[in-house]
Amino acid sequence: MERRLNAELWDKMHYLFRDFNDRMVHVEFNYDFVPDIDALKTVIICALEKVPVLHSKFVDTKLSTHWEVMPYDIDDVLTVAYPENVSEAVEDFLTQYIAPDSHLQIKIALFIKDGKSTLCMVENHMCMDGGDLKYFLKAFCENYSQYVMNGKSPIEFRTGSRAYNEVYSGFSQTESNVAQRLFKNINSKDKHKFPLSPNHISDQSFIARRKFSEDVLAMLKAKGKEMGATVNEMLLASYFYSVYELAGFPASDKLMISSAIDLRRHMDSVEDKGFTNHTSWMQCAIPERGRDIFETVKYVVRSSNKFKKDKYMGLYGLPLLNLGYSIMPHAASEEIIKIGYSNPYMAMSNIGILKGTDFALAGNEPTDAFMSGAVKYKPFVLLTATTYKNVITLSMCVRGNEKDKKIVENFFDLMEKNMNTLIGK
Amino acid sequence: MKDFIEYIETSCTGLPDNHITYLFKRHILDEMTERANEVTHSGLRDEKVLADLMADEYPDLPVQYKVWSKEYKKKKLAKTMRLVMGLGGVIFFILMFITYFHVSRTTGAWDKTWLIIVGGIFAMIIFYTSFGIKRICRMRRIFHPIARVLLAACVMLFTVFMFLFWLMMVPELVVWPILMGGIILMLVADTIFAYATKQKFRTVTAMAFMPIVTTMLYIILAAYDIVGWLTGWPIILIGFLTDLLYIIFIVINNAKYFMYKREDEE
Repeated sequence: MERRLNAELWDKMHYLFRDFNDRMVHVEFNYDFVPDIDALKTVIICALEKVPVLHSKFVDTKLSTHWEVMPYDIDDVLTVAYPENVSEAVEDFLTQYIAPDSHLQIKIALFIKDGKSTLCMVENHMCMDGGDLKYFLKAFCENYSQYVMNGKSPIEFRTGSRAYNEVYSGFSQTESNVAQRLFKNINSKDKHKFPLSPNHISDQSFIARRKFSEDVLAMLKAKGKEMGATVNEMLLASYFYSVYELAGFPASDKLMISSAIDLRRHMDSVEDKGFTNHTSWMQCAIPERGRDIFETVKYVVRSSNKFKKDKYMGLYGLPLLNLGYSIMPHAASEEIIKIGYSNPYMAMSNIGILKGTDFALAGNEPTDAFMSGAVKYKPFVLLTATTYKNVITLSMCVRGNEKDKKIVENFFDLMEKNMNTLIGK
Repeated sequence: MKDFIEYIETSCTGLPDNHITYLFKRHILDEMTERANEVTHSGLRDEKVLADLMADEYPDLPVQYKVWSKEYKKKKLAKTMRLVMGLGGVIFFILMFITYFHVSRTTGAWDKTWLIIVGGIFAMIIFYTSFGIKRICRMRRIFHPIARVLLAACVMLFTVFMFLFWLMMVPELVVWPILMGGIILMLVADTIFAYATKQKFRTVTAMAFMPIVTTMLYIILAAYDIVGWLTGWPIILIGFLTDLLYIIFIVINNAKYFMYKREDEE
């Protein structure tokens, strides 16, 4: 029985991003126990059946695009391994790439060692963004727990429309009409780049991470409250300041970093919506570095407040993209959109707090949890932030070399130094 | 399979006990079995989960029954229609020739009766093409331009027949403006089609057609001396004026949506 799914606007946009990143979203949960592998397989199959885009291949006929639902074997989705070096196995697994025309858009691995396990997941961003992946993982873990503990069939996954225009569903008719006429093309115009080495054929994907102790979050919150800034703005300010220092940009230079925003803020409820992408960029610009990082925070707050005041935050350009994709053959629309679209060189995505209870498997909360965005191709970079058990983890996925690893580590050192300055540590 | 039968029977309680219901149940059972095989092939071993998963994919069978039975009746009707149309076409063709020979022999107007053959063939083409257009309209939007071309062709066939008919029947009549009328009819039909099927850029095409329609109208009216060639040209301007008024209307109507400015921009 051949089944086809619509290729929605965001699917096509993320397909277009193939020039900028590998489109993979990464997840890693560490547990102090070993889950029931058969149960895990059952839950994965149910999840895939309820979210068919995860076992579909993306078909680009040049004229149009669609998803074709494909058969699969659970052993192709889930890898169970007993490696000697778990962190190496995790790194190898997480840095893999899933091609859009692959029959599966998600790969899961369970690495077991000494009665402990690490659950890893790699998913194509074309299917869903970090926000929905978080929701998907929560449903996944809940279903597993209910299945193992109460014998309840693991079929409670959200289904529904994946269309981009669901983003207008929370608006009144008039507001929706206004939003659907926001044809303004908002792009990152900044030419400042993160100082990575030039591209080379030998470059390989890597995920660099840095954890910040529990007290850092508490102190950032306290200091942020004092300064009228959110934790996200504090992180963003540190990002700005560290980049100025790392790249040696003149302090008087105007700098722009795009910050991912979840467009679900405009929707009343997502319960009847399918798993998809609803993420846009907010261009946070500061006029200069500032005399110290505290001044940088002020600039960041000022810039992000401009966006926060806007009722249609993040919705600019969507009607234009939709028009671009709907009036021309796919190949032609891609070329036209590429002319008008400029990918931000530096970006940040704060996936937010990962709650231990949300990702508990049969009552076993993860000892550590981590999520990160796609591996960016130089010169583009994306800093991802996740918070688990009050520990902030910053990560940067780059396709680079040893030199780039050192540069990113140096950047994290600067981030740490600047965050410490901010909180007076 | 037993679980599926039980689920179907329980869910379909209250549905009429007839052949269509039986076919529907059979159809659902076949689909469920096929899906279950797919999922089992993927590696699902738990029978209970499989049954629940399948039941979840068919949550409301009575509602599905309504849709399916309607579709089933429609398909059956379409099958009958195809048969009737096929046979009807042959009968029509035979009758057309009988009429042609009968009228020709009784009137002796062999120079004019060929119109019966031309008219009959045109009518058949238009009749069958209209079904084709209807079918294309149910297909993806990318195919809709084909329907528009076919519609235009049908209108032009009708126009050509009218032209030939008046040319043969009333030789002293100025008949060439009929072809201009055909163009008007074609553009009007296309606009109606575009609005009825909610085609993209329908307003733009309608506005582009407007000056053409008024120009053709001017030529027709002037050809029949209803307006003078020298004095009637303002009719053409009506087309542009209508477009202008419509643009103003759209701008005023949409202004409230386009006027939005971010607070910081204000």
